Amino acid sequence: MKLNSKTLLFLSLPLLFSFSSMASSMAPLTFNAPRVLLGDDDKKGEDADEEDDEDRDRYLAVIGGDVYSGNGSVMRGASILAKNGIIEEIGHDLWIPEEAEVLNAKGMRVYPGMIAVEASPNIVVSTSRSADEGLGDLHVHPVDEEIDPLAVFEAFADELLEGRHSVEDSYDPFSQSLVLALSSGITSTVSNGTAIKLKRGEIDDLVMSENSQVSMAWSSKNPAGRRSLREKFEAASSYLRDYRVWEKRPKSEEDTKAPSEKGVDKNVVAVLTGQKRARFTSNEQGDLLSLARFAQQYEFRPIIVGCIEGWTVADELGRAGATAIITPRDRRDRNEMLNRESGSTIENAAILYEHGVQIAIIPSNTGFDMGGQSGRDLMHLPIEVGFAMRGGLPESAALDSVTVVPARLLGISHRVGTLEEGKDCDLIVTDGDLLHYQTFVQYTVVDGSIAYDKQKEIFFAHIRPRATEEVFDPGEEVAEDVDEAVVEDSEAATDESSEDSPTDEEGADEDSEEESDEGGDESEEDGR
Amino acid sequence: MTVALLAQQSMKALSETFVALALFASVATAGGDLIAVRVGRAETVSQGTIEHAVILIDNGKIVAIGQDLPIDRGIPTIDRPNWTVMPGFVNAYSRFGLTAQGGAGSEPHKLASSEIYPRDAVFEDLLEYGYTTLGLYPPGNGIPGQAVAIRPVGDTIEELIVRDNAYLKIRLASNAGSKKMLRDGFAGVDKFDEKEAKRLEKWEKDKEKADKKKKKKSKKDDDKDEEKEDDKKKEEELGDFVPEAPKDNVLPFVQLRNGELSALFSIRTASDFIHLIDAIDEEEFTWNLRVPLRDDIDLYEVTERIGKLEKCVVVEPRLTFHPGTRRVRNLPLELAEAGAKLAFIPRSDSTRGYRDCRFNIAELLGAGLDRDVALRGMTLEPATLLGLEERIGSLDEGKDANLIFLSGDPFEGTTQIEAVMLEGRVVFGELK
Repeated sequence: MKLNSKTLLFLSLPLLFSFSSMASSMAPLTFNAPRVLLGDDDKKGEDADEEDDEDRDRYLAVIGGDVYSGNGSVMRGASILAKNGIIEEIGHDLWIPEEAEVLNAKGMRVYPGMIAVEASPNIVVSTSRSADEGLGDLHVHPVDEEIDPLAVFEAFADELLEGRHSVEDSYDPFSQSLVLALSSGITSTVSNGTAIKLKRGEIDDLVMSENSQVSMAWSSKNPAGRRSLREKFEAASSYLRDYRVWEKRPKSEEDTKAPSEKGVDKNVVAVLTGQKRARFTSNEQGDLLSLARFAQQYEFRPIIVGCIEGWTVADELGRAGATAIITPRDRRDRNEMLNRESGSTIENAAILYEHGVQIAIIPSNTGFDMGGQSGRDLMHLPIEVGFAMRGGLPESAALDSVTVVPARLLGISHRVGTLEEGKDCDLIVTDGDLLHYQTFVQYTVVDGSIAYDKQKEIFFAHIRPRATEEVFDPGEEVAEDVDEAVVEDSEAATDESSEDSPTDEEGADEDSEEESDEGGDESEEDGR
Repeated sequence: MTVALLAQQSMKALSETFVALALFASVATAGGDLIAVRVGRAETVSQGTIEHAVILIDNGKIVAIGQDLPIDRGIPTIDRPNWTVMPGFVNAYSRFGLTAQGGAGSEPHKLASSEIYPRDAVFEDLLEYGYTTLGLYPPGNGIPGQAVAIRPVGDTIEELIVRDNAYLKIRLASNAGSKKMLRDGFAGVDKFDEKEAKRLEKWEKDKEKADKKKKKKSKKDDDKDEEKEDDKKKEEELGDFVPEAPKDNVLPFVQLRNGELSALFSIRTASDFIHLIDAIDEEEFTWNLRVPLRDDIDLYEVTERIGKLEKCVVVEPRLTFHPGTRRVRNLPLELAEAGAKLAFIPRSDSTRGYRDCRFNIAELLGAGLDRDVALRGMTLEPATLLGLEERIGSLDEGKDANLIFLSGDPFEGTTQIEAVMLEGRVVFGELK
């Protein structure tokens, strides 16, 4: 039914295209084409509904938006077709299957979903949450609802003792944090070293990568630690050298033993072979410099979190192929004792970028919730990026810093981070420039299904609503330029949607999509 | 063909009245202590409302129900033309009168019936408020055991129990431990089945061998005496394959699979439901849901999915707030509209809760819930949950005569419960 009503809604848009009556023919998407008969299409929708949901391919068409693919290209008024969560095609004049769910992005922009490279998302059902659930109504069904602390421990003992914590087994696909993350345009994040996709209402195939990074310490305050790390790298690299020699041994020496792995840190080997990325938290110029040289010596590409004084040694960091995870609003006083540049600057990201350091950006608070300091958490990631741009970071690098660079850091760039054919259809539709402070995410699509619609959630629906719709005001007459057919369509759609959705509010919202394109345009012009 | 149906038809066609009378006469003479109830209205639950209803009760069972049925002379009749009668209330999910604290492990073989005190004074209150059947569940998280269905009258546990093993209670939470507990339960059955299959295979092989030996010998011994042959046969016989009984903690899961037992999953959030579906995977068995309705619950996220599966959901009659707002949601209504069945339990498991339950449900009616759904939710649906749909829960021929006599509509605030009948006996109020 949902699909059906969407189709109807779409038909009611001023901008129309015709579906070919034969599904197999490759009819191009034609704009401003004569309207199709409603009844005809309606029937097809019903037929499609009767089919088994499981076997059918799931299509989503995001049409008419300006597609910022994240790989440098911008396609105005383009469409994206996703099949079963994978982007099938991006471009103009796409053939769109009639059973496809259609998301009209006309007048809006389409970006790849953002990726939070560091996060403490509250999307996992925690033991504490299930514990206080019972305390709300203690008098009700005392034994069942009252939680015995020992019982809670017993229930989770396996998990606690064996460390068998699996995100997939405790993910809350309906949590408020999840909706807030999606409302901020974030479609992938990290939970305990595991890169997960923020699926809504589903828990299948959440995990995209696990433990792609190894945390290491590098600080001038701990010379012993530095020495021991250096020893580990030395041992690992000599092991690798031996191993490669052994690998290429002549046939006559077939039986010789492989070099001993004793005393070799597997994680360091993984870093040296590029399977994992080493990750350091470092801000001081001296540390950054020695770290850059250390990385160059052993030829690995460090991830540096913080990197506040990185701009003073940007050339060395660039040479080391480092990636910096930066919080542009972090402050650090200049050290007056030094006879050289130090301290923080708003230009940090820009300078590092100029010297070839890849930039990923996170805010100082990595949670999604209604508490904390507003504007400095992951719900305001684009604003944080804005500060880097203010310091001179180019716009394309700024977009990369929250999409493709984090994807690379998490080892998931083959699936997400840019909008390209064959990648996952994780995208956001915004009512303006993603990095503009006024812009709202209007839709978030995860794995080819609409996971967030601004007008359907209680958080931001009332702020610059996407459309002012006659549905809200029964006394108002329909605009003159809308002809009868369209009116009929929209009425049909109203009936459909109000039947579908349990609450009145949702029904009204679906209808409001009709004018979304125009509304989007207006707000953009008004705002800028 | 039922007596009532015949009787109703006869009412419409006067010419057939005599046939019906004859039929009733035969019924009347067959039973021992036959009584008739004539009331202004009967809420049958299963077949709608019957005005001017007559119910014929024999030996604690309803033998006939219909509109204006003629009552044979000599049958004691309870005549209350202003009253309404409906099936006794059923609460399928209660711990009324029980105290023990539960653990969190997997003990599917434990029975709630072992906790009952017969002759508990609290039961009298239940009868006063129209509850004639109670499903008592074992305490605890995890898999605490099996519930028991009781009638709140009786001097011994045996007298109280209507059905032991009513359902298996399982608390399922969104975590690996909880999901593993369920999977392990069925894995235990798989293991058991495998072991049995191996034993059977071995036995079959042995038998084959024995049969071959027998044949050989019988060929050799063809000429010898038949008697001797018989003796040898006896010696060689292996005996029939005796299937082993599964262990205590495996048996309930075997019963779940073969349909002898149903499961009731207690969940707290929409996420729990998704994880439940994930944990069940392809396993097929009868299961239903218990969801405590509290404010800010996000159950509306999965009402469609629950409805699609046509599960019965045990809920309190309560309106809740949408998370983070003061907007009221009628989740029972949303569940019912999605296709789920509802079994209502009192908001609080206390005498006050039982007293107010039908008025609380009336609040939901005011918020749009269907009256039939509400009636079923107090009677037939919880009865089905307890596996007693053949015995109680509606006014039908052959079912137990558990009746509530009300002074008017059950959901009207001024309506009083005048009398309660449990299996033909008057257990509250006066009926003469």
